[in-house]
Amino acid sequence: MQCNELFDRRQFVFLDGAMGTQLTARGLQPGQMPELAALTCPEILTAIHRDYANAGADLLLANTFGANPRKLAGTGHTVEEVITASIACARTAAGQTGSLVALDIGPIGELLAPAGSLAFEDAVTQFAQMVEAGTNAGADLVFLETMTDLYELKAGILAAKEHSNLPVFASMSFEANGRTFTGCTVESFAATAVGLGVDAIGINCSLGPAEILPLIQRLCRLVPAGLPVFVKANAGLPNPDGSYNLTPADFAQEMLAYLPTGISMAGGCCGTTPQTIRLLRQAFAGHTPAQKIPLRRSVLCTPVRCVEVDGITVVGERINPTGKKRLQQALRTGDTAYPASQAVAQAEVGAQVLDVNVGLPGIDEAATLEHLVRELQSITDLPLQLDSSNPEALARALRIYNGKPIVNSVNGEQKTLDAILPLCKKYGAAVVGLTMDEHGIPKTAAERVAIARHITGEAGRYGIPPEDVYIDCLTLTASAQQEGAAETLKALTICKRELGVRTVLGVSNISFGLPCRGYLNATFLTMAMAAGLDLAIINPNTPDMMGAVRAFRVLTGSDRGSTDYIRAYADVQIQTTQTVKTATVATSAQPEGEHTLADAVRCGLKAEARAAAKAALANTAPLDLVNQVLIPALDAVGNGFEKGSIFLPQLLQSASAAQAAFEEVKSAIAASGTQGESRGRIVIATVKGDVHDIGKNIVRVILENYGYEVIDLGRDVPPETVVETVRRTGAPLVGLSALMTTTVPAMQDTIAALHAAGLPCQVMVGGAVLTPDYARQIGADFYAKDAKAAADIAKQVFHT
Amino acid sequence: MQLSLPKQLDTKTVLRYLGASGWTPDDAMAQLFTKAETDLRAAATPRGIWRQLPLSALPLDTAGTDLARHLAGCNGMVLMAATLGSGVDAALRRLCLQDIALGAVADAMASVLLEQVCDALEAAIRTEITGQGLYMTGRYSPGYGDCPLTLQKDLCLALDTVRGIGVCLTPDCLMTPRKSVTAILGIAAHPVTGARAGCATCALRQTCAYRKKGTTCAM
Repeated sequence: MQCNELFDRRQFVFLDGAMGTQLTARGLQPGQMPELAALTCPEILTAIHRDYANAGADLLLANTFGANPRKLAGTGHTVEEVITASIACARTAAGQTGSLVALDIGPIGELLAPAGSLAFEDAVTQFAQMVEAGTNAGADLVFLETMTDLYELKAGILAAKEHSNLPVFASMSFEANGRTFTGCTVESFAATAVGLGVDAIGINCSLGPAEILPLIQRLCRLVPAGLPVFVKANAGLPNPDGSYNLTPADFAQEMLAYLPTGISMAGGCCGTTPQTIRLLRQAFAGHTPAQKIPLRRSVLCTPVRCVEVDGITVVGERINPTGKKRLQQALRTGDTAYPASQAVAQAEVGAQVLDVNVGLPGIDEAATLEHLVRELQSITDLPLQLDSSNPEALARALRIYNGKPIVNSVNGEQKTLDAILPLCKKYGAAVVGLTMDEHGIPKTAAERVAIARHITGEAGRYGIPPEDVYIDCLTLTASAQQEGAAETLKALTICKRELGVRTVLGVSNISFGLPCRGYLNATFLTMAMAAGLDLAIINPNTPDMMGAVRAFRVLTGSDRGSTDYIRAYADVQIQTTQTVKTATVATSAQPEGEHTLADAVRCGLKAEARAAAKAALANTAPLDLVNQVLIPALDAVGNGFEKGSIFLPQLLQSASAAQAAFEEVKSAIAASGTQGESRGRIVIATVKGDVHDIGKNIVRVILENYGYEVIDLGRDVPPETVVETVRRTGAPLVGLSALMTTTVPAMQDTIAALHAAGLPCQVMVGGAVLTPDYARQIGADFYAKDAKAAADIAKQVFHT
Repeated sequence: MQLSLPKQLDTKTVLRYLGASGWTPDDAMAQLFTKAETDLRAAATPRGIWRQLPLSALPLDTAGTDLARHLAGCNGMVLMAATLGSGVDAALRRLCLQDIALGAVADAMASVLLEQVCDALEAAIRTEITGQGLYMTGRYSPGYGDCPLTLQKDLCLALDTVRGIGVCLTPDCLMTPRKSVTAILGIAAHPVTGARAGCATCALRQTCAYRKKGTTCAM
């Protein structure tokens, strides 16, 4: 068979069946690595491949599933050695039949960060080594299979595309609920893999033909008509002893249901045999692949959430530093917890996509955007809108993004289009096109449509379909250009009708410079929705805006039975009072406010603490509030905890309440434009190899509540990172945590590295297995038995 | 295989893990508990896998004396693994960020839910083993006593936890998703109870809060 015949979908292509099952049947012992078969028993391996070729398999998967650097470490064999020998066996077996040979690539066997500790680029590097070895050994294509982590699949696809010109097949394993072990949906798999440009897509392993069938039916609708879909099912579901029930004849019989789905390739996975493939081929004889009728959908996704942009979709705009002092401050100090909490808050109130913009003068935008995207995708499952015009920032963020994002934005300027569209294509992102160019924003709708047409055409030229293009006809400020609103909406309607694209608007700009902006925003949003707006970039924390969106969904019938509307508003009463600004009296001046704050912290009442702090800040300097109210309250709680009269959950509730109050303090400081005076800078980290970070997280909150600036490096942090950060920030105190006895040595290494670097910092350590003696032994200056102790140590170090 | 979450959460143990045994949560804390449980139940995808294998399936001669004591008199074993899934890890990261008290409660609660899932799985296995006329010890996990964590590598390979339930190991032999458990249960033709690791070889013996109070974590 010629390689191009795989993709023309004229005839069914038959893939091979199980390898592991066959090796075991022919004497592979438990504990022996199947990947080494090409070196230890090449004749057996070749015989298995030959049996599959003779049974009618057009494509043989070489025995390279786990031949990755991680699994081969310690075997005394290299990736190149194993892959070369394995492909040679398959090639020999394919000699008579002319079957093709694939470099087979399975999961590395370690979860990628943030779920595990394997870095994305490490995964790419491991796969790349396999791809290069496979290419050099003469593989016809790269076959990524049995993937359960979309992020790992992306690493594999990138490695294959960047290190070879071979066609790439991508296959994931799903459970019967239509999700992989990591929660990835069939929809997210399709959107991401198609976006990354795979040449064939499929599902394998985990389930039998009957269980995979509905998933394949979905997959066939989700991918372009010309893209081949394949299936390699198990021989039914496994028995407790690992055996499978479906006979080859039953398997072939069940596979008949796939004929109308539109698949064009089929084989078997665990438990299948050459006989399975022979009977499958017989069963399919005389049939040709059915036509696929794809749904042309606009989707954005993360692994676990696929957002179909079909009707009004809310993009949360809060992670954008323009005009937001608190966020500016957080971005400048590298504090990702604040923007991350903004992400969570927006998700809670109904945002479906989150805009992420880190553009600030004097900031390393590329590094900051990449870092923040990494953090955000570890705590939210909403797709992100990468908001930057800096190609380097976009390239870095797109690369590490897990799923299908949207880039905001390009415009009609050719230079921008040529710089950014190829990135969107490579990484499978949708893109926002602004209807402006080097000459500025055209006045008329017709001119804006012309630019939109140009952008859509250029996107098409780069291989980005119209359903992935979102045109922004640009909201002009009504106070300055009153007639602009109508032109914008007119352009929006035409673009949507004539170009087959989606539309997007940043809504709030309409009201700039006018009072009671909410009225204008909500009304303009409503008008835009009626004109066909798809993506509304708004502040979802504004009840009026979300109310307009939800009401629109009811009135256009997309919220069936008003279910979502009722869920959101059943318990809500709309306040209709308007307050005249000059009439508001500062009601917060009384000293009771301070008592209230202290009480709220002591009782762990978050909302009350926030409100009390806000009230108190009206007439108290932020730092005075911290020193005179917050810290004494925290001390009281801490002392109670030490004495045993207060339990940990209560301490944490108080910490949480104090944190809410502190957030108000920080906002007040940021708004005043002054540099908040920190009580001292502390770097904290859970050491390399350890993933248990709940203790460290508690310590961070407590230290922050005491007014220290905490740089939290997260978990599984290498010593070099700690050293580098301490050097950069000059932090006089470092806090390290480790839960396991096995990771305490990493703690010792980190302390040694800090000392070796000659950094004048002191180190406190904590974690379940540590003792004061042990802490001294590994060179720590302090042992903190709990978060309270950590705060006491900080006081001592900073003389505060 | 997919497992189910316990109908009733063992709240008492959650409080114990939080160092608050015997405390009656106030209203605010009760609300926090409800929120944590709701979110965890929504995020959890509990799965388990087990195999009945000969003792030779693990390199027991290098696995410490505590495990050997646990398996004394046994001539076979069951290896089992269970996980709440990676959705729980993501939920815990989110909750910690939202509210540290909520995060800490949820973290402890997830451990308890997992323990309960393991209890249910063990009970199902016990029924199966008893049906064969055999006896089985309780669960023993790598890392207890002097049993090295590196035994995880062999255990996870023998169960193929990666393909079976999506549980992987980090280079330092920690399991991901984080809320996962592996265990070894001895099988014999006569009644066996196994032996817990005990305090003598426990890594926490010097700092253990239970020991200070004169109890143990097993009580």
